[in-house]
Amino acid sequence: MVDDTQVATVTRPQIQIQNAVKSFNGRVVVDIDNLTLGDHPIEGLIGPNGAGKTTLMRMIMHSTPLDSGTITLSNANGDRDVVISDLPTHWMAPHGVVKSNQVIMDFDKLTILDSMLLAVAKHRYEQPHRILAEKSVYDANVARIHEYMEFFDLGDPYRFAGSAGEKKLLDIIRCLLLDPKFLLLDEPTAGLPEDLTEKVMETIRDLAAAGTSVVVVEHDLNVIWNLSDDVHFMAEGNVVMHGSPQEIRENKTVIEKYLGEGHV
Amino acid sequence: MNLDWLDAFLISGLFSVVVIVGLGLLLHLQLGLTRIANFGVVGFFGIGMYSFGVLFTKVDWPFGDFWAFLISLAFGTFVAGLSGLLVGWLIADLDEDGVLVGTLGFATAVAILATTEDGLTGGARGLGGLRFPYDVGSVKADEFLWLIIVSIVVALILLYVWWVHRTPYGRLLIGIGGNEPLARSLGKPAFRAKLWLFAVGSAGMGLLGALFGVMERFLAPENLGIDVTLAAMVALVIGGTARAWGAVIGGFLVIGFFDIIVQSYLPFPREWYGQAIPNIKQIVFGAVLITVLLFRPLGILGDMRRDKLMRRVHGG
Ligand SMILES: Nc1ncnc2c1ncn2[C@@H]1O[C@H](COP(=O)(O)OP(=O)(O)O)[C@@H](O)[C@H]1O
Ligand SMILES: [Mg+2]
Repeated sequence: MVDDTQVATVTRPQIQIQNAVKSFNGRVVVDIDNLTLGDHPIEGLIGPNGAGKTTLMRMIMHSTPLDSGTITLSNANGDRDVVISDLPTHWMAPHGVVKSNQVIMDFDKLTILDSMLLAVAKHRYEQPHRILAEKSVYDANVARIHEYMEFFDLGDPYRFAGSAGEKKLLDIIRCLLLDPKFLLLDEPTAGLPEDLTEKVMETIRDLAAAGTSVVVVEHDLNVIWNLSDDVHFMAEGNVVMHGSPQEIRENKTVIEKYLGEGHV
Repeated sequence: MNLDWLDAFLISGLFSVVVIVGLGLLLHLQLGLTRIANFGVVGFFGIGMYSFGVLFTKVDWPFGDFWAFLISLAFGTFVAGLSGLLVGWLIADLDEDGVLVGTLGFATAVAILATTEDGLTGGARGLGGLRFPYDVGSVKADEFLWLIIVSIVVALILLYVWWVHRTPYGRLLIGIGGNEPLARSLGKPAFRAKLWLFAVGSAGMGLLGALFGVMERFLAPENLGIDVTLAAMVALVIGGTARAWGAVIGGFLVIGFFDIIVQSYLPFPREWYGQAIPNIKQIVFGAVLITVLLFRPLGILGDMRRDKLMRRVHGG
């Protein structure tokens, strides 16, 4: 038992990216020789607009297919490594790899509760002949869903998400409900009010403490300096350096390329 | 049974309404929930009709009519389901234009096969020899009983479709229809789900085709025109694509109005019935469709209301 817990605190789920290339219309947008994500509980991924952060995350999810290269998931609890770049997108969530979206993604005909129940429902309940499955799915998940609804102060679950911020939050909660082992967040707090940003950060910290590896892309650098244990700096499609928040913050190249004098 | 009160036109008019409603209900799962515009409805309908008819009439059945009938019916349903699986596989990853061309092309291919494979289907001459699996005295009584049986089948389809809105399966279909990439990223195998949706929906359409063939007693390629697909679509769109009752309301209003009231009871000159009435019918279909789409794009019943529905389902 003691050994097990020690292993669990030392190794976390990791994602290895090797020789991963993606170009759009002949222009190389991401070109990464070798990058490991997940060495630390929470890692920040920053860089100027258009550096390829979103594209890299989409490549990991395989919602953007790679031109070449491999992406591998290695799990903490002794499971075998999985080459996730060989798998279709819908296999990522079952492997524990989950991403929230930078742009608003929502199901406009589904209520808040519907949307969460869709996220948590096991696929075996979603078959044409499973006509009595609603109660099982609802009963098994309603407590968890209500916990999130209350924590984020969402009010009535039987309504449609209204504002952009609410949809963004819902996107993040759907990810949390999937019990991610490796969580990718693409600008999670953009468009959220300050109190919700705090709550999202708190949730992410708890999740990371419980063993999930988290990678956050953020424009709000205060979130990055506050939250991350390690920061990757991405420019022109490549991760050009990484280090502690302190190191990255004081690095000359970063300041020149990204932060500008005013930010330091 | 005394059926003097019942007009033979009324039986056949109601029968076509019921069949179109059934097709519209199945289309509702594909178009209304999953946003796949299947323009090949009549193809699946025809495959069911002909697979049933050919097996029933060409095989020397060693046992009674009734069992031969049931086995052939199951066969027609199964073959239509299989063709749905195949077509689904071809179109599941295509965009709207691809789906349109793929499903339309499939339906055309079925109509052509029904004409050219005349060794099996009788070609343009048609295929006779179909009959009801019972005999209750008169042709009218037989047809009336068949209308009731098929109405029960369509009522069961309605019950299923209505119920699907209250299941995780329905939620999955709505999710895929609303935002497929998001559904995939939540771990939902959208491709496979569409495949099975097509298989099940097409099996149902094939069953309705076989049941329709029995009422006709004579299968001919004319039964496989695009007007069947259009009738189901118009009924669904006018009633409301997003609601389970949409196809029922639309079917009775539009098809019922035409096939029963206009065709049979309005005093048109006799010579109109050959050419003019079918043409007027198409024009009015089109006009009604455009009017509804302009003023009530989601049909008479409007959009689905998951907020109210789910509250009721969960007893909140
Ligand atoms: N689907 C696409 N088609 C063409 N170009 C794209 C596409 N997605 C991203 N790009 C381009 O790739 C570059 C990187 O974009 P992105 O990954 O969104 O950057 P970041 O998230 O770091 O701001 C940008 O120049 C963007 O215009
Ligand atoms: Mg981005």
